[in-house]
Amino acid sequence: MAHTDTEQPPALRTRSVVGLAVCLVTALAGIFVIPTLEGRAGFGPTFWGMAAMELLAMVGVAYFVLNLHEEPT
Amino acid sequence: MDPIALQAGYDLLGDGRPETLWLGIGTILMLIGTFYFIARGWGVTDKEAREYYAITILVPGIASAAYLAMFFGIGVTEVELVSGEVLDIYYARYADWLFTTPLLLLDLALLAKVDRVTIGTLIGVDALMIVTGLIGALSHTPLARYSWWLFSTIAFLFVLYYLLTSLRSAAAERSEDVQSTFNTLTALVAVLWTAYPILWIVGTEGAGVVGLGVETLAFMVLDVTAKVGFGFVLLRSRAILGETEAPEPSAGADAQAAD
Repeated sequence: MAHTDTEQPPALRTRSVVGLAVCLVTALAGIFVIPTLEGRAGFGPTFWGMAAMELLAMVGVAYFVLNLHEEPT
Repeated sequence: MDPIALQAGYDLLGDGRPETLWLGIGTILMLIGTFYFIARGWGVTDKEAREYYAITILVPGIASAAYLAMFFGIGVTEVELVSGEVLDIYYARYADWLFTTPLLLLDLALLAKVDRVTIGTLIGVDALMIVTGLIGALSHTPLARYSWWLFSTIAFLFVLYYLLTSLRSAAAERSEDVQSTFNTLTALVAVLWTAYPILWIVGTEGAGVVGLGVETLAFMVLDVTAKVGFGFVLLRSRAILGETEAPEPSAGADAQAAD
């Protein structure tokens, strides 16, 4: 809903903002950390670990964006 | 730069990978897109616009990280085919797509205001499309590679079908701004995303008609257009404002969307 100057902007849900930040870190870790461990873990676990982390991060972003604001009371 | 270098790229890191030129350019363009969207969205108070900004900033943001990783040779592996040929596969590219393509679809689903079951189905089929494409890229026999490519392409056709039927009919119930933006973005997605399986099949992962340098350049152009171009069209539109209290068309309306 559009906001006008006389209204307070809708309040962000803190849990969702934190969740988005965690998802961002998870997605970055999936790209940088997991492939870096390839030498130790082997390719299979690296590949599936990366895919799982990106999927998890994407689902998290979708969930937290859909629940970004506090419900009006 | 000689013509061959123009075709294949330029080895910026001196590690024998001429495609690093395109990966470096991709990183910079995605970063520019990310910071442009952050600057544009700074201080936005409209509830719905915030949701679009959150998604649309994260898409090129993660893509820039994936491009940077590939630039430095992270997320690349060698796949030996049964013929003995060895392919360099940038599987970090698929990590990027696994995260970003469902979120681009989420933007379209939010525009069309479809229910969460439809959103979940669309995202699930899209993820299946990416994962099967990746399995194909990592397979060792031509039969397996092309079979997984076909599977992935069929999943893509399902995504396209959803966009052009369920989402389009839902968007048709909304304002003219939303319909116009939705149709533009759907056309963009349909054209650009169709190019990916074609590039896969003619590139090194498929028939090998084009080399890794040209393939990387083409993927970079497609990625930047499909993510930054998509975000640019979406975030400039008044369609991202809440429908109920969206102002009448005026010169100031676009500025409100931007601010």
